[in-house]
Amino acid sequence: MIPSEALISKAKDRQFVRDPSQAPTEDFHDILFDLEKEGEWEVQRVPEPYVEVETKYGRKKKIPLQHTWHHKSCGQCGHIPGYSTSIFWINRKLGLDYQDPTDQTSCTAWNYYASATSNAAAQAAVAMRNFAAAAETSYFPIIHCGTSFGHYKETRQQLIHSPELRRKVRDILARLGKKFVIPEEIVHYSEWVHTVRDKIAEHQVRDMSMIRATVHPACHYHKLIAEDAIYDPEIYGAQRSAIITGTLKAIGVEVADYSTWFDCCGFGFRHILVSRDFSRSFATMRKIEVMKEEANPDVTVTHDTGCVTTLDQSQFAAKAHNRNVGVPVMSDSQIAALAMGAHPYKVLQLHWHSTDNKPFLQKVGIDTDKAWNEFETAVEKLKNGQQQYLTWEDADA
Amino acid sequence: MPEQPILIIGGGPAGMEAALAIADLGYHAILVEKRHRLGGTPDEAGYAALTPDFRDAGEAMAEMAARIENNPFVNIKLNSTVAAASGSVGHFEVTIQNGAAAEKVNAGAVIIATGFQHFDPGRETQQYGYYEFDDVITLVDLEKMLKAHNVVRPSNGKPPERLCFIQCVGSRDRQIGNEYCSKVCCGIASKEAIEVRQQLPNCKVFIFYIDMRMYGYWENEIYWPAQEKYKVNFVKGIATEILQKGDRLLVRGEDTTMGRPMEVPMDIVVLSVGMEPSAGTRELAKIFGVQQNKYKFIETIGGALNTVATSVEGVFACGAATGPADLEDSISSAAAAAMKAIAAVRKSAKKAE
Repeated sequence: MIPSEALISKAKDRQFVRDPSQAPTEDFHDILFDLEKEGEWEVQRVPEPYVEVETKYGRKKKIPLQHTWHHKSCGQCGHIPGYSTSIFWINRKLGLDYQDPTDQTSCTAWNYYASATSNAAAQAAVAMRNFAAAAETSYFPIIHCGTSFGHYKETRQQLIHSPELRRKVRDILARLGKKFVIPEEIVHYSEWVHTVRDKIAEHQVRDMSMIRATVHPACHYHKLIAEDAIYDPEIYGAQRSAIITGTLKAIGVEVADYSTWFDCCGFGFRHILVSRDFSRSFATMRKIEVMKEEANPDVTVTHDTGCVTTLDQSQFAAKAHNRNVGVPVMSDSQIAALAMGAHPYKVLQLHWHSTDNKPFLQKVGIDTDKAWNEFETAVEKLKNGQQQYLTWEDADA
Repeated sequence: MPEQPILIIGGGPAGMEAALAIADLGYHAILVEKRHRLGGTPDEAGYAALTPDFRDAGEAMAEMAARIENNPFVNIKLNSTVAAASGSVGHFEVTIQNGAAAEKVNAGAVIIATGFQHFDPGRETQQYGYYEFDDVITLVDLEKMLKAHNVVRPSNGKPPERLCFIQCVGSRDRQIGNEYCSKVCCGIASKEAIEVRQQLPNCKVFIFYIDMRMYGYWENEIYWPAQEKYKVNFVKGIATEILQKGDRLLVRGEDTTMGRPMEVPMDIVVLSVGMEPSAGTRELAKIFGVQQNKYKFIETIGGALNTVATSVEGVFACGAATGPADLEDSISSAAAAAMKAIAAVRKSAKKAE
């Protein structure tokens, strides 16, 4: 087993120094504001207080702490609802103001990346409609889905460099009665989790030091517009994205390396749609089995909808063939919320996950039978019509 | 005799050669070098032997420096950089910074010879783990070991039994934007492979390449001797990542000749890092307002028939400041820049008469 700390060269003459001028693209911030001055659009500023972090080439990125507008993920809401519930739960526990909007649309990027739909103007119009909806509330958008996040950043590049596309999308927005406004930063929720990781650790009530985890960084986080992903010299010597690993270390989880960390989870967009067996095989044989053999983790942690679902929900197929699988999968928000005392079923909603996670929960010291009974008692109120949904008070009861 | 000297920036092989050529023709040169001594990258990076003739690099650079150090026609300013410039051909006014002290000099023409820097594998190509694994090194690191006759694994100090080179790291790579070939890495890797075999006869040496680019006589001077005399294994393939496996490294990739995946254990992996414009080259392009190409090297505007003229009249560039160049190219272009600079100063002086 290779601990993540071991992955830094000890050769004394090697120290990686980042140079923002070596980034492969221009700093988009300057262009955003230049275009604003020319009257092309409005730029929604990151609300204060924010935290400045460094991205891959050493540029600064502002991460808002609160007053955030949560752009949710289709797949999370549909398949793993405890993912976003955990994000909201952490916000509430940290006393941070946020908004859970009801007028957000799907970004439609999944089909776009699967070569199945749409065109640049339609894609950009969807993005800008959502940004306008956020700006109307004065809350700042924060994106739950890695695919939406990566796609919106690509869309931003297209809008910056194409006056024709801006004109088309501005016309569409005008017909919808929406402002043409773009956020100063496009922020992924896991960047926010990373930024507040020390606050999370301050509120930690469960000891996580007996847990060994592997990390799967989402392709659409660190491979699309890579220059805008967070890297930290203290984590992997800024040679891999700091996201997830930084959070796990803050809550005392042991992070172990495995050789296929850079590979896709298997989702692959097109594959999950038209060649799902390939996704299942890749997720289990290329990722889960390698982790199991090289690191034997208690859990693997990732930060995107497709990654959680594919890594988690592919394991049943390999298990049927008696292969070496069985690693529970969850998001950084879920494990962070768990460390802060969140209920495994009422908040994390781990019963939506298919790989057996009870051994992991029990290792953290949770009586899973008791916790499940608490959940069933709570949902009884829904069954008997007493309530339509569980409240935050129910979640913490 | 023109009154205005010619300013040369950069004290590497190209800058030294330009200064010598100007002095030999009876004109005055001011040579500005940011380091405490002349010799440029071959000296700073501690090159062992030059490609392709295996001549001692330190000795060669010392010889070049000696030709100009006590030359009355060459005014050498060490520990100095150019901070600002104004004027035009025949009448440049340049501010030279030496620590806190600033000095203004006049020059009739300028030669930029600020060269290249080695590609940093930490900025891109992180999958090779240069900053993660001690035993992943670069051509430059190995050059230092060869010079010291101490080729050992940085992780444990023991001589390697298996060593490989991975070619085209930071070059010929569309993904990171460096589409160009750095010209010299195939030759240098083959030269270093020979030197490793000379110093460690029991070490097996491999070179993983896209295709070997051995220009001109390098084919006979380095490539065939490496294979035939020194038994270096050339493997056509693409290494995709380097992993730790036990106490060794595992090179994972594709053998494109055999058309199949490969996993090869190694003790040392040498990344054949290419060339990028140095920080000085990028900075001076801005100070003198000369055009740069998309890779930020200084653009020469004369095509194949004038390889040293820039977009600003009276400002010339030579060596690796204009793009990847070997030592022979650098010396040749430096001499050409010297001639063109003198011609520009003379024409300007005549016009003023």
